[in-house]
Amino acid sequence: MTIATATPMLLHRMIDEAALRHPEHPAIRCDGETTTYEELARRANGLARVLLATGLERRARVAVLLGKNPRVPVAFYGVLAAGGVLVPIDPRSPVEQVTRILAATGATHLVSEPERRQVVQQALVACPEVSQVVGLEADDGLPFRCQPWSTVFEEAGDRPPDVPVIGLDPAYVLHTSGSTGAPKLIQHTHSSAMSFVDWAVTEYSLTREDRLSNHSSHHTCFATFDFYAAARAAATTVILTPAALMMPASLSSLLERERVTVWYSVPTALVQLSLRGQLETRALDSIRWVLFAGETFPEKHLRRIMRQLPGARFSHVYGSTETNVCTYHHLPESGELGSPLPIGRACSNARTLVVDGDLRPVPDGEVGELLVRGSTVMSGYWGEPERNRQVLVRRTSAGDLEETFFRTGDRVTVLDDGNLTFVARADLQVKVRGYRVELEEVESALLSLDPVEEAAAFAVPDGEGSSAIWAVVVAGDGAASSREEIASAVGKILPVHAVPAEIAVLESLPRTPTGKVDRNALRARLAAGKGQNGG
Amino acid sequence: MVADRLPPPAAREVEDRIMDFVRRELLSPEVNVDREDDLLSGDLLDSVAVLRLAAFVEEEFEFKIQPADFVIENFQNVAVLADYVQRASGR
Repeated sequence: MTIATATPMLLHRMIDEAALRHPEHPAIRCDGETTTYEELARRANGLARVLLATGLERRARVAVLLGKNPRVPVAFYGVLAAGGVLVPIDPRSPVEQVTRILAATGATHLVSEPERRQVVQQALVACPEVSQVVGLEADDGLPFRCQPWSTVFEEAGDRPPDVPVIGLDPAYVLHTSGSTGAPKLIQHTHSSAMSFVDWAVTEYSLTREDRLSNHSSHHTCFATFDFYAAARAAATTVILTPAALMMPASLSSLLERERVTVWYSVPTALVQLSLRGQLETRALDSIRWVLFAGETFPEKHLRRIMRQLPGARFSHVYGSTETNVCTYHHLPESGELGSPLPIGRACSNARTLVVDGDLRPVPDGEVGELLVRGSTVMSGYWGEPERNRQVLVRRTSAGDLEETFFRTGDRVTVLDDGNLTFVARADLQVKVRGYRVELEEVESALLSLDPVEEAAAFAVPDGEGSSAIWAVVVAGDGAASSREEIASAVGKILPVHAVPAEIAVLESLPRTPTGKVDRNALRARLAAGKGQNGG
Repeated sequence: MVADRLPPPAAREVEDRIMDFVRRELLSPEVNVDREDDLLSGDLLDSVAVLRLAAFVEEEFEFKIQPADFVIENFQNVAVLADYVQRASGR
């Protein structure tokens, strides 16, 4: 096996290199089982061969619908080695969302597994462009062609297929939810992903000895770090199963057993671990870095887990799926943490700028929108040239130099010490347990239900550092719909994290003088109601 | 899945009450679940549903689940949960 060192590093070349140098080293640990780098590389090559043999064209999209298991990295590297573009899909998505993503990206192939057969079958009814499915048994009478995982293992081999890929080729498309119900599809190239990976490996001094936990699903930008940064360092990724994530005391003993060294998640997961993980009874001195992002970490919870893990350093990283991590702040080991906690300074491969509505820089200390320029920024939203023009803005700086910046939509300010601090989202996007939810999407789902006439959704703190979504609906005349019926119906349309935790049926919605739904008034009214019930 | 032996009547009753709650409150009507089906695979229940299940068990069988007992071995399926409830609640 030869590796072309004259070309820039591509994501899938990382495992070829690791397999060459450290074939027996564990690439993946999951549920007590090991996949070595040699096995991972061979299986990825097997999948790449199956994809190419079934007609995959260069840069064609390959959707990946998998749970949290060792098939995920095989799918990642197999698709990339075949020259395809990965489209990982949230395995908890309702069928409608899977269909939308398949249709919007024009995927021709899908990699999945028997556990997801029903969703695949239903989603593909509406997606005739998907001609091939890898991971399901062929003798199911399915209306599309299937290759089971056993074929991938039979095709496994040392030699990666000879498919020309350059760094600027698209590598993957990640999805979030979108305001009109259409997901945003965020496209990254091998180069933008590798730039993030290289920064992370350097900043956190990752080596082959490291064991990175994988907390988040494969469709999130967190997984980019967990899998690709680990591969770059020939380190091990420990996939945390859903069972462990639901049982914090089991999770902590898993972390102890697997000697995890680096953790990356939303604060919510760490709060659960801190409150219910029995940490005082575990030896977790192997953990040397805890990275968190995505939401505010309530100080009391943060201070407690810092005490519980005295050997670890904590790093607050900031970014979005569009930018990867672009600023970071290592927490001081003692003294004031700062309130709110700073999002820190630009990574070495990024530049930040705080601007007013006309994209002119604001003085330090004033609030403005954060712009980011850097090699980790996405190449754009898939198939949305108009939106790309709005968020990837060109700006002329000193002299005639024209530069492209990404508009984050986040309001920030620069502190005296040069650190950035997050102030607020510029729009109505909120995060629920790390997942991005647009309130308008929740409202439009509620409004799509027959008995619902008006709907308003808003975010409230859930007391553990994350947000919960509450909604208020106005039901039509004579419609005797109960809250339960509405909740159950909307649960069939929205992804789990976007389903309102509380739904109240009111006779009317409070409105501002301009006629907009007054979310603040609603929030106050419902909070008062909850308080009276002791909630 | 064939059970090794039939559970004694008290055990059967605990299991039935848990199963009834899981079917009625946590799963959609079209989903069928067996006493040994994995509740924690991520495909049947989410973390909120698991918390609801724990709250139900505490209320229904009148005991407090100790944090150290909040582990996969006690919640993996209805059968082991019923076992745990019997041990922990002294039934």
